Amino acid sequence: MFQNPEIALEDLPGMEDLAWQNLHPDFVRRMQVEHALIALAPLAGVAVLSVLLHIPLLQTVLLWALAIGFAIVFVSWPRISVPRRGYVVRDKDIVFRSGVIWQSVTAIPYNRIQHVETSNTPLDRKFDVATLQLFTAGGSGGDLKIDGLGAEVAEQLRIYILGKVGVSIETA
Amino acid sequence: MKPPEPGTWRRTSPLAILFFLGKLFRDIAKNAWQSFAPIAALLIASSGNIMDRLMIGAVVALILVIVASVLRYWFFRFRITEDSVLIREGVVKKKQLDIKFDRIQGINVEQNIVYRYLDLVTVSFDTAGSSGDEGNLPAVPKAFAEALREKIGRPLGRACAVDSTENIADSEPLLTLDWRDMIRIGLSDTRVLLILALLSPLLDRLGDEADTVISRAINSATQGAMQFGVVGGVPLFVAIGIGVILSFALVSIAAAFLRYHDFTLHLDGSTLRSRGGLLTRHEVSMDLGKIQTLRLRQGIILRGFARFQMTARQARSSHKNDSSKNFTIPVVTQELATSLRRRFLQQEGRGLVQIPTSSHFNAISKYSMRIPVLVNVLIPMLVTAITYSIEGDLATLLFLLWIPMSLLHIFKTWQHAGFHFTDDGLVRRSGTFGYRTVALLYRKVQRVTVSRSPLQRRKGLATLRVYMASGSVRIPYIEHELALQLRDVILYKVESSQKAWH
Repeated sequence: MFQNPEIALEDLPGMEDLAWQNLHPDFVRRMQVEHALIALAPLAGVAVLSVLLHIPLLQTVLLWALAIGFAIVFVSWPRISVPRRGYVVRDKDIVFRSGVIWQSVTAIPYNRIQHVETSNTPLDRKFDVATLQLFTAGGSGGDLKIDGLGAEVAEQLRIYILGKVGVSIETA
Repeated sequence: MKPPEPGTWRRTSPLAILFFLGKLFRDIAKNAWQSFAPIAALLIASSGNIMDRLMIGAVVALILVIVASVLRYWFFRFRITEDSVLIREGVVKKKQLDIKFDRIQGINVEQNIVYRYLDLVTVSFDTAGSSGDEGNLPAVPKAFAEALREKIGRPLGRACAVDSTENIADSEPLLTLDWRDMIRIGLSDTRVLLILALLSPLLDRLGDEADTVISRAINSATQGAMQFGVVGGVPLFVAIGIGVILSFALVSIAAAFLRYHDFTLHLDGSTLRSRGGLLTRHEVSMDLGKIQTLRLRQGIILRGFARFQMTARQARSSHKNDSSKNFTIPVVTQELATSLRRRFLQQEGRGLVQIPTSSHFNAISKYSMRIPVLVNVLIPMLVTAITYSIEGDLATLLFLLWIPMSLLHIFKTWQHAGFHFTDDGLVRRSGTFGYRTVALLYRKVQRVTVSRSPLQRRKGLATLRVYMASGSVRIPYIEHELALQLRDVILYKVESSQKAWH
């Protein structure tokens, strides 16, 4: 195990009892709307196929069943996935968890953040949510995206994190 | 050496035309299709026979390129101010480039054979920003480049007790490479292996054919004279195959000479510097503090030579996966690799072992093999079952050969995977037939992720992924507890570190 001369391992702040913050309560519905819109495409495709081509009844029913089944799973998926996402704002870093089957927990220390961005799509604005993106050095996958924050929360976080970044930046 | 005087706009030597010519040719080669379309149009439009048209086309293109290079030279100005390099260039589209000294990560120098006679060099600046904007100063006097390097290097210089009067030329090189090393570099070039791999099925078939021919020859030994011609043909094939491999190896060795001839490595204060090259001399430098990860690579061939390739990576730009920000030492021995690692990572790197055969490495969980094994056993079996039921041909059973091959591959990959850590950094080992090890310091980490698949959750395992400014390092299938502890230590180091990470 570690022999840490400065601080004992047991004394290191762990993440066992973090109070995970949930995303905005309306975000589930916002995602469901988006997924419903996306799911319309295969449904429309099946509709066109069944009208234009003369497919036997059995196949048509099967196709419809498949498309509808996919749409139902796809539209209800946010109900499962969104509650499993969460974040914790700590003094020195921000922690984000996500994933239903493959679960991951990511931590970004404030003193490695290069810049912070908030953005929202028209759909986001409808539900009053926003996306917060934190960029660190190193390109691909070097940034953390937290979507589904309340618009106000995202803005507060942006300002809070920027302040932290400013404080901890070393004058090179 | 007089420092470059600030404030005046200067033009480079007219020989910079050569640089622009080379650049233009490279651009043309890169965008061949677009470049040749207008020329083709010109050719079709003009009258005369094909050869004449081609000649005219080539001459016109050459003249255009030369005129463009002269114009580019003519409009190229640069200026060194107190804290930045300013470059103005462009004939039609003007480009203004201001590079602050503190954004410059390294100054690299290249000297082609013409410049060498005239003591000129091409300076390129390595910046942390987008790689497209990187500046070049073509054909400037070498002394100017040295002075510039000193001017830029000083404010960057970290705390290191080194005599400023010490010249690189005087300091003892850490490494010099001779002709034997060139052969090692050339032979270990992965492209040679690739060609071998491509040719091997062909060689196998030749071998099979040789078998049948030989058995036939034995059967009809009495007709030896008649068969002789056929038997003679097979060695010819084999000879051609070997000849192709040999010539690729030779080309690759020649390439090694071109790039690394007379290679020397110096540590000048905290700046690492390498020089080498037969026709064009490349001089690459990197500040030790900028190293994000230190990599050792040993493929099968280098393993045979008991040598390693060492690469120091610095922060890369966010858009491209460019390798131009790597500092590569093409061949080092184990002892040298160890001593270089000590020098590069200094105090913080103590205790870190990067030599892959070291007993310090911990294995990752055997469960990492489960899913690859399932996939590589079940899918070939399924494919074989389906094709056999359709075709009924016993030859489809050959698909099953995939299974032992992939099992060997998976086992070797697990065997070569490993990791090892200290209070300040960790080393990850990977590879299948060769080895790769990556060493990093916790305090330079950008972000950490611990993730778990359903299998990992059941077995109490996790995958730790550490993002550096030079890319990410993944340690899969380690104890969940340990992954969490490592993550907490890394976060603690990052958050309490007062040192700059870049």
